[in-house]
Amino acid sequence: MRADELRNTMKREVRRLTSRRIYLFTMVLIPIGFTLFFLSLLGEGLPLKVPTAVVDRDNSKMSREMMRSLGASELIDIKYQATDFQNAMDMVKSGEIFGFFLVPDNFERDALSGRSTSVAYYSNMAFFIPGTLSFKGFKTIAVSTSGSIVKTTLVSTGADEAQVGALLQPMVMQDHPMGNPWASYSIYLGNSFIPGVIALMVLLTTAFSICSEIKTGSSIKWINGAGGSITIAIVGKLLPQTVIFSIVGVAIQSILYGYYHFPLHSNAGIMILAMVLLVIACQAMALIFCCIIPNLRLALSVVSLVGILSFSVTGFSFPLEDMYGAIAVFGYIIPLRYYFLIYVDQALNGIALYYSRWYFISLLLFPLIASLLLWRLKRACLKPVYIP
Amino acid sequence: MKTLLKKLESWIVALFRVWRREFYVVFHDAGALLFFFALPLLYPLVYTLIYNPEIVEEIPFVVVDDSRTPESRELVRMIDATQSMKSVGYAASLEEARRWHAEKACYGIMVIPEDYATKIARGEQAVVPFYSDMSLLIRYREFLTTLTNIQLATGAQIRQEKIDVAGLASGSLPTSAVGSQSTFLGNTQQGFASFVMPGILILILQQSLMLGVTMLCGTARERRRRNHGHDLIAVKAPPTATLMGKALCYVTIYLPLIIYVLHIVPWIFDLPMAEHPIDAVLFILPLLFASVFMGMTIQGFVKERETSMLIIVFSSVVFLFLSGLTWPRYAIDYPWSIFSQLVPATWGIEGFVRINTNGATLAQNATPYQMLWALTAIYFMTSLLACYAQHRFFKKKKH
Repeated sequence: MRADELRNTMKREVRRLTSRRIYLFTMVLIPIGFTLFFLSLLGEGLPLKVPTAVVDRDNSKMSREMMRSLGASELIDIKYQATDFQNAMDMVKSGEIFGFFLVPDNFERDALSGRSTSVAYYSNMAFFIPGTLSFKGFKTIAVSTSGSIVKTTLVSTGADEAQVGALLQPMVMQDHPMGNPWASYSIYLGNSFIPGVIALMVLLTTAFSICSEIKTGSSIKWINGAGGSITIAIVGKLLPQTVIFSIVGVAIQSILYGYYHFPLHSNAGIMILAMVLLVIACQAMALIFCCIIPNLRLALSVVSLVGILSFSVTGFSFPLEDMYGAIAVFGYIIPLRYYFLIYVDQALNGIALYYSRWYFISLLLFPLIASLLLWRLKRACLKPVYIP
Repeated sequence: MKTLLKKLESWIVALFRVWRREFYVVFHDAGALLFFFALPLLYPLVYTLIYNPEIVEEIPFVVVDDSRTPESRELVRMIDATQSMKSVGYAASLEEARRWHAEKACYGIMVIPEDYATKIARGEQAVVPFYSDMSLLIRYREFLTTLTNIQLATGAQIRQEKIDVAGLASGSLPTSAVGSQSTFLGNTQQGFASFVMPGILILILQQSLMLGVTMLCGTARERRRRNHGHDLIAVKAPPTATLMGKALCYVTIYLPLIIYVLHIVPWIFDLPMAEHPIDAVLFILPLLFASVFMGMTIQGFVKERETSMLIIVFSSVVFLFLSGLTWPRYAIDYPWSIFSQLVPATWGIEGFVRINTNGATLAQNATPYQMLWALTAIYFMTSLLACYAQHRFFKKKKH
């Protein structure tokens, strides 16, 4: 009876999963633990109050006013008063600050007399996020103060105050971030790195559970228990894992979209479906590697490589369009990329499901390809060879 | 005194025996060779190839021009001329523009309002809404910087015209007098590879060492299990000599690799390189030792050769976030701040990025350097404890 064989294989797999502690870690504790770690680490989603310094060489009324507006900015935190440029540079190099703002000697005198002078600000781009934020904070102050100096001078030469106001900023670019109006890093990184960790753990667990049978030689029993059918053996083995990972995945989604209120502009069912398909596609991908190299260590090494490179090559930190073509193609053979694109279309942008159709189809292709290679795995399972 | 010297001598002899034997073990283990050589040799190349285009260029955006005036067309031309943005066409309405966005034909929508030119002519403030796609923050960041620059440039241009027309004053006015000058330190081109690679390189060193060390430990444990608690390959030596001998072996293997990872890879891809190369190598030395001992500490959890991969591979992502490379360390709160200080790569990345990218010296990075040696000491002690625990475990099993 095929149904009996399938049931027995599944029962056997459940026993295996519960008999080793490592599965509890890879399937439940690591994905959920990482989610909680990530969300508590990134907290508000923007690392405000970048530690910075000021160098006030002028020490005039005007420069002190500038220092006060810098101090009021929420983006930066004036931690130190540096004596000169060199002093501030030393602080950058020893990591006490990520940028500094410099007002030159005789700034007020030169500004008021119309002689050319300028404030300068330095941001350490060796660290991207604090560098960018300090740049933003400094720029706002630099622009607005130089504007207000222009204003005072113009008004003092007899111009109309309202007219001057519009003169300072005749054109404003009003920025509307779609879907994530807070420009929160937590929302952005959480929706890419957390599914990435789930995908990585699915890849590793699948490869480990299949190839460790070959390592210990229990694969013969496994296949025989499934009535000699590799399809039943694989379905019986992977289905319990699919169920557990899907439950964990959906639980994580409910933490993100339910508890933390990350943007979810689509039907929740669509994202749940995407998660289940991601789990199946990753299992299929690991299965493909197990068919090609049925060796525990090598299969794990390859899925680790793929799982870790997924974070980069799927293009959610640096876009695929800007990578070299020969590298970018690898982005298309990774399930995680399609899950991410579904998330962008559905949860983030809330557009019609029609636009995401190809991503769902792509995810479904992985198990199809895997099924074509199963005969290789069967051969390896029936004649297990362990290469350390 | 003499017996003490004798003891020391035999200890050193044992140390060197372990050292030599470990070389044999490593070079006869394909798995360890893969982690110790293939990983540090190939990963940096693969990673840099991914990020090497450095900057995002010509991000497509679409224009909804309700103004249809020379002024509005001039604005679009100005933006089009920048390196980072490219207009892919005019949409008849916001509705249509959204359709373009849904089809991924563009990542931004600029709406120029009907009264754009009129307002500028009247001396009122004109507002131009820009909708940006938020799927990748690097695109949003690029939009934001470009549009701010355009706003400032257009503003200055309009202002000068007005002032000239109104005859308020001429050229010598403070409009041009009070400038602001922005300088980017370290990664001056703001390239993505230049930003991320120095940190990744350090993480690769730590993780490849941990993977190799735990795999060797797991294999030794399998040997012991098969041989009633005895590892037949191991040299008889006191635990301290065993640990140090092994660590010296791995670090010796890694020294030529460091030159490759820290100097040759950045040279190939024209990434930021240290002004003080000796400082960089000296700085990395304790990172290697600390990583080795950290790997030996967790050997108690590694029961077989391959299981270490299941845990360590994933920890790379955690260590990346704790290191302060993506998420700055000043924004990391308790308890993670404490936890992050226990990871060698945290200090390694922090110090190395400054030495490498900012041209800092070793002296300017005294804190991370001392912390790395402190971690070496701490993990040496813990690995010693792990060693004793394992001895006890196998002794108990025998009886």
